[in-house]
Amino acid sequence: MRTLLALALSALTGHAALAQHEIAAAVVDDKGKPVADAVVVAVPADGGLRLPTRRDAVIDQVDKEFTPKVNAILVGTPVIFPNHDNVRHHVYSFSPAKRFELPLYAGVPAQPVVFDTPGVVVLGCNIHDWMVGYIYVSESPYFAKTRADGKAVIADLPPRNYVVRVWHPQLEGGEAATKRSVDVTGKRRVDVEWTLKLKPELRVRRSPVGEHSGHY
Amino acid sequence: MNVQPILRPACRPRDAAGARAAAWVLLPMLLCAARPAYAEWFYDAHAGGLYDDNLTRAQQAADVRGDGAATLAASAGWFHAPSGTDGITLSLDVNSEAYARFHGLNLISVGGSAGYRHKFGLGRDVPWASITVSAAHDDFRGDIRTGDRLEASLEVGKRLSENFDASVGIATDRRFASNDQPVVPGISGKPFDLRGHSVFARAAYGLTERLQVGARVSVRRGDVVSTTRQNLDIFLASDAIAADPTFGSDFYAYRLRGTTTEAHATLSWALSDRSSLNLSYGVARTAAYDDLNYLSRLGTILLAFRY
Repeated sequence: MRTLLALALSALTGHAALAQHEIAAAVVDDKGKPVADAVVVAVPADGGLRLPTRRDAVIDQVDKEFTPKVNAILVGTPVIFPNHDNVRHHVYSFSPAKRFELPLYAGVPAQPVVFDTPGVVVLGCNIHDWMVGYIYVSESPYFAKTRADGKAVIADLPPRNYVVRVWHPQLEGGEAATKRSVDVTGKRRVDVEWTLKLKPELRVRRSPVGEHSGHY
Repeated sequence: MNVQPILRPACRPRDAAGARAAAWVLLPMLLCAARPAYAEWFYDAHAGGLYDDNLTRAQQAADVRGDGAATLAASAGWFHAPSGTDGITLSLDVNSEAYARFHGLNLISVGGSAGYRHKFGLGRDVPWASITVSAAHDDFRGDIRTGDRLEASLEVGKRLSENFDASVGIATDRRFASNDQPVVPGISGKPFDLRGHSVFARAAYGLTERLQVGARVSVRRGDVVSTTRQNLDIFLASDAIAADPTFGSDFYAYRLRGTTTEAHATLSWALSDRSSLNLSYGVARTAAYDDLNYLSRLGTILLAFRY
């Protein structure tokens, strides 16, 4: 019994040792305002990646918007695009990382879409031009998306040196410019901050435009 | 969509033609509304005000009358996408205007519109074409303006970038005056029985995430109405005349052939995804015949809602 207990404690302790490293990211814009929906990715500097089992991801369509608007997934992840509106959507992407089309449909498509190339995939709907969504397909399993407070934590990191970068739909300049080298070896938590310069979001307008026609 | 049944009666100067044409627009709306599968309902409302500095469309300063009005409009619409590149929109529209001084212009309008839009491919920036037909009954407090109205337009456009789109089109319009009130024997008393054809171009550019500027220019050739005191030159050039007591007991509305060139600019501030505040300013210059040219300016402020 004692032996079993000791083994269990050892296993727990060992697991805790593996899971104790994390990178706490804080992302603000050039005015100091927290940036939500920024994807923070940590790639082991030595390139050694062990990819976990893939799980399906879901990108919903609610009130004629993609929900969530920004998604981060691991390369190879199958994504389901359920439509919870009572109108049909026609989802497509022309992005080099994944070109696909889900012709006009309602409900849940029969087959998920597998995103097998790292990169950014921009989603659109051919019926509702204002609908836009983003999928960040990461080559590394270590990523997180910032919350409304601009913060995100990449947890369960093996002790290593990482190259960490940030991407956001409105990021000015490439994400390569955001790269940082972060070594978590021997540290439980490493805080890293980014200040991003963001472009205005000039997407297709959804709100109505009021016009009055004159008389002749 | 076959527009022939709508355009054909528009060429006949008879009141019944307007009613028949309106029925052609409204009937498919009712039929389509009976098929609600995956239909998208929308409700629009506009509230605001306008100021028109030359409501009489007069040339002489002594005849020019300007006034402001409160406006309120509402629409209930239905959208259906039969395919990934096609969309059909139907709407029932109610519009009202209440003028501060010239109450004869007070208006309640009830009508409907039907539109079909096709995108030539997949994506936000592919070209598109649309055809829209609308019909309405305009009930003015001043009887000579009351009547039915028909409009049809064909438009093609393209989004040139995420925040810039532009289109060009042609349109035809027809008004069927309900009341014949001749003042000169042998000359029609329906000056507001009108027809015209126009070409137009418009563009919208998003300056920021919320602010959009739009522009529209058009040239219309057809019937115009100028209201003045008795004027021999206009009388000789006109083919319909009626007393227009809205502007005074000595004012007459004259129907003339003319060309109107119009330019409008709109500044639209998105308050949310469902509402906006809109300011617009437009200038229209009409050349009716050699000696008659008039200018009118229209400013509006509108709150627009969509649910």
